[in-house]
Amino acid sequence: MLEVDGLAKRYGEVLALRDLSVRVDEGECLVLLGRNGAGKTTALRCMAGVLLPSAGNVKVDGIDAADDPAAVRALVGLMPEVPGLYERMSARSYLDHFGAIYDLEPSLRTRRIGELLELFELADAGDRWLGTYSKGMRQKVALIRATLHRPRLVLADEPTSALDPDSARRAWNYLKDLQKDGCALVICTHSMEEAENLAGDIGIMSAGRALAVGSIVELRRRSGLKTHQEVRELPSLQDIYLAIVGNGAAEHELAETRSA
Amino acid sequence: MVALTLAIPLASGSGVRALAAFGGGTAVVNRLALVGAFFVVFIPASFSLVLALESFVGERERTTLEVLLSTPLREAEIYAGKVAAVLAVSLTLCYGGLLVYCLVTFPGLGYFPLAILLALALSTICQVAAMVAGAVIISLNARTMRAANVMASFIILPMSIALQAEAALILIGRAEYLWAFALLMLVVAVVFLRMGFNGFSREALLARDVGLRNPWRRAVNAVRGSFEGRPGLLRLVWMRRTPMLIAAAGFPIGAVAGYLAGATNVIPANVVRPVLTSLVRTTNASGAIDEALLIFSHNVLAFVLVAALAILTAGLSGFLLTFAPGFILGFAAALTSWTFALSGIVPNGFVEIPAAIIAGGLAIQIGAAAIHMDPSGGWTARVLAAFADYVRALRWLVPALAVASVLEVLLG
Repeated sequence: MLEVDGLAKRYGEVLALRDLSVRVDEGECLVLLGRNGAGKTTALRCMAGVLLPSAGNVKVDGIDAADDPAAVRALVGLMPEVPGLYERMSARSYLDHFGAIYDLEPSLRTRRIGELLELFELADAGDRWLGTYSKGMRQKVALIRATLHRPRLVLADEPTSALDPDSARRAWNYLKDLQKDGCALVICTHSMEEAENLAGDIGIMSAGRALAVGSIVELRRRSGLKTHQEVRELPSLQDIYLAIVGNGAAEHELAETRSA
Repeated sequence: MVALTLAIPLASGSGVRALAAFGGGTAVVNRLALVGAFFVVFIPASFSLVLALESFVGERERTTLEVLLSTPLREAEIYAGKVAAVLAVSLTLCYGGLLVYCLVTFPGLGYFPLAILLALALSTICQVAAMVAGAVIISLNARTMRAANVMASFIILPMSIALQAEAALILIGRAEYLWAFALLMLVVAVVFLRMGFNGFSREALLARDVGLRNPWRRAVNAVRGSFEGRPGLLRLVWMRRTPMLIAAAGFPIGAVAGYLAGATNVIPANVVRPVLTSLVRTTNASGAIDEALLIFSHNVLAFVLVAALAILTAGLSGFLLTFAPGFILGFAAALTSWTFALSGIVPNGFVEIPAAIIAGGLAIQIGAAAIHMDPSGGWTARVLAAFADYVRALRWLVPALAVASVLEVLLG
């Protein structure tokens, strides 16, 4: 579904992303981990056809994002880190507006909007202005907006960062349901719990490049960490992440990237 | 906005009617009725600037832009949607206000200047379109709303001049002048819309604010870089042959236009004769050196002004550099004869006219660079390069003007 090969993105003098190669098939989920400024958001924007790669290529369902970015955007649902809602619209009219942009039939979008607002416990607040919503409610609306048109690929940047544990679990279940329907997911997160919950593959990014990509088992082997002897417990993803990124390594690589 | 749109026409219309009722002279009431119409249209038109300025940069500040740009909408659709949304609101308010004003003012007044009101309505569309298109370009390029407001002076100042001109045309009371004004505004609007369409870039809108430190150093580097690797004069003339040809055509076109204007008395001779007289005898300078210096300084000043104005006039100043002398020559020929008129520009014209063609062509190139936008950016670099070419060409053109002034004094 998603093929990224040698992707690089430069903003002026800064190389924000370099030589990223990943592949996500239908119904699979790739979770990108990394510090702030590691290039995760830039990677998502390139995968969404919003930014064009400086080098390499991105293909969604066989369509090259550089050749036909509009077609790629039609297949993708992007949920940015900031919900970015129109505050003087109600949730229903806002979602209806975006449903119309994605050419959903009026009756279909009304039905889906109703179902999803119900699922995320927003049905009662659906006619209120979005400006009156809490942070978590806004994030739920943003997730609904990104998935309303049943995209083939969902790209979500910290999709549950503002949600309470119960709502986060509900959101994860919803994303897993999408996966079961064949939707591919790419999630950026700082939450190891979220990563462990959703990930098929995990990409660990630092200073604009992927340090490691693979399943949690492969990453565990690569990190060289052994089973915790005292408790006979496997090392957590947090342990693996810190072992691969390493303290201070990111700063060093950031400086290297800038000089490049 | 809606309240103002209704309140101002009501107040203006009531004022005109009150003046008519209390014995104001017909001519005064009629003129005031026209000025009132202009006034009620202008106020809502000015709202369009505020709306257009925040179209992109406002979304950016509210963090809603990325979501909009991630939709399948194409660049042209987003841009056209933004412009159309602002235009729809502004024009609805303009025409709503005009309608209210007409309903309040004209019934029973015995005066209804339909032709002027129609021309005003059309020129309003074109004027608002020009303002909106220009403001949307600013909104596309500004990083913050505050920066957009500062940059809006590039729209407000020229538009205030245009509005004063429009007000004068309304007071003159000739509808055809307003049609011409509307046409001019339409051209400006089309140029701005084209710039906006061509310059729209998701990349630029979402690009990180990187590399924005040390603005002075960057500015100096950009200016220095614009002078590097530029072609020599002959190669430059060949590279810029199209604008050179346009500038060259300005002289004969001006001569023909001037001759027709003089022969048909479209411009009364008593208006142009003082100009011609002052050109024939440019100075009261006592010596030949003083006279040559004065001619030289006038010509250099003209060349500098043409370059400075090229960016604001989209290169029209470059065309005028050859058109204006041609026009004066043709006009003089119509009043006297071609032989007499040509004798005034020989032999110095053999040097001055090619120099003016080169300077005019390069000024047209500056204007062309200024109105060309590209999604990949580089507007500043292109304009600076065009200016750099002009400045480099002055190394040859200024000595040529010096030679021409000496020839004019000694042999002219």
